[in-house]
Amino acid sequence: MGFARTLVLGVVAAAVMLMLDGAVHVLMAQNPFGGPRPGSAIEPQIGGIVGWILARQSEFYREISGTIRAAKSDGSAVWTLLAISFAYGIFHAAGPGHGKAVISSYLVANQETARRGIVLSFASALMQSLVAVVIVAICAWLLNATAGTMCNAEKVIEIASYALIAAFGARLVWTKGGGFIGALQAERPAPVMATVTHRHHHDHSRDHRHGDGHDHVHDEHCGRSHGPTPSELAGPGGWQRGLAAIFTVGVRPCSGAILVLVFALAQGLFWAGIAATFVMGLGPAITVATIAVIAVSAKDIARRLSSASEGSGTLIMRGIEFGAAGLVLLFGAGLLFGYIAAERVTCL
Amino acid sequence: MSIALRRLPGLLLVALLVAGGGVAEAHPHVWITAVSELLYAPDGSITGVRHAWTFDDMFSTYALQGIETKTKGVYSREELAPLAQTNVESLHEFAFFTFARADGKKQKFNEPVDYYLEYKDTALTLHFTLPLKAPVKPKQLVLEVFDPAFFIDFKLAEKDPVRLVGAPEGCQMKIQRPSDGSASAQALNEQTFADGGANANYGAMFANKITVDCP
Repeated sequence: MGFARTLVLGVVAAAVMLMLDGAVHVLMAQNPFGGPRPGSAIEPQIGGIVGWILARQSEFYREISGTIRAAKSDGSAVWTLLAISFAYGIFHAAGPGHGKAVISSYLVANQETARRGIVLSFASALMQSLVAVVIVAICAWLLNATAGTMCNAEKVIEIASYALIAAFGARLVWTKGGGFIGALQAERPAPVMATVTHRHHHDHSRDHRHGDGHDHVHDEHCGRSHGPTPSELAGPGGWQRGLAAIFTVGVRPCSGAILVLVFALAQGLFWAGIAATFVMGLGPAITVATIAVIAVSAKDIARRLSSASEGSGTLIMRGIEFGAAGLVLLFGAGLLFGYIAAERVTCL
Repeated sequence: MSIALRRLPGLLLVALLVAGGGVAEAHPHVWITAVSELLYAPDGSITGVRHAWTFDDMFSTYALQGIETKTKGVYSREELAPLAQTNVESLHEFAFFTFARADGKKQKFNEPVDYYLEYKDTALTLHFTLPLKAPVKPKQLVLEVFDPAFFIDFKLAEKDPVRLVGAPEGCQMKIQRPSDGSASAQALNEQTFADGGANANYGAMFANKITVDCP
């Protein structure tokens, strides 16, 4: 029974991901900006959704420079620029990225709501754009530093951000590990209460915010369960933890945005570059938010399914949280030590 | 306990799926149009590769950021010399994105020589020569130009992308571009996973492959 349920759950999750991808595919195949692009230059034969996304991404990105040049003489081209930037952002975010992994794992590890997931996603994307603008404004505009200097600064920030992800993950593992071990011990009757109650004190604010009537063993142990209020969502302590997530994800700017900003600056249209950067950030924000909501919902389903079985339900939930925390740590470590090379900045 | 533990891995898998972690794909930020020459010694052995890489509009402008010139918008070879120096030094870390095999055996290159930058029509072109550590005279030489991380998208120029300079009579050249469909995603995916790094060799799918067969 349990295995079958898990299987169904897994299949559902996979199906949702595929459906999303398919929907994006169909929607974007209509080509929202202008006519079809016959004989596109980039047709990497890697087939499927990934290849297609990569090709569109490159197309949109490569149109940005031309559009900025055009905007020098024709102001209306700025609108085209914003439209292209938006499209680029969407496609850029369609692939897996560190933001998605960190934010959704963080949400799963903690008892976070979908609403907070959306806010976190947008805030971290906004911060990413801001960091890119600040770097270019200081390095290129104020100091007139060379690209090499700027790229090295980018590299330093990049490594720092990976270290931050790992540290953030380590902290989650530390907190969640306690809960998991507590739940494991709870499976054996005797020493239950002491350990579990202890953990509950640490998790209080979080659980109360989220304890919205799910028959969640955890909350029942606490004896109190009430729905979240807006003040609790943004209340003291709550945002502090959220801010850590935002900072961890947002501190690393997109190299694409930096290139666009420097290019715009050189064309004397820095403001257009800034506008494009923020519009670009919308794509990742939307996708990360979507994935965050899926993650939170999936966890809710898991919670509902697992709550059917008394004691092991808690164990499963703590296990999932612990696993999600571990993912953040692994992801950060993987990026830091270069096992995941995809997001690396290349300075030439 | 036992039921819960049996279910746990499955649920973690769901979490993993949802988190969207795992394999990440890069996408290019820099585009290079490459023209290359294979250099042959009088005795018919290959001594090195001469590249001329033209960067895209956006990256060219980015690279020129902060470079002082006498005349605005005009960059002489001398003014660009420090940048060219930086370029070749940086390229070292990436093995110059140039991978050669002589009869299946990996070849090594020395540090580049005769390098300079040229600015024309809002695009920078980096010229440099990569001497082989030891000249080779293989039956088959395979030269690949690509960025394994796919931060840079290499494309061979449309017209005459590769020239054989001083090659012996009867040498035949074949060029495979990434868009040929010659690099099948399936095979490469399996291979990359087999290699251990999920995307360590991701860019190989976009490799430009030059094969020279000599009698």
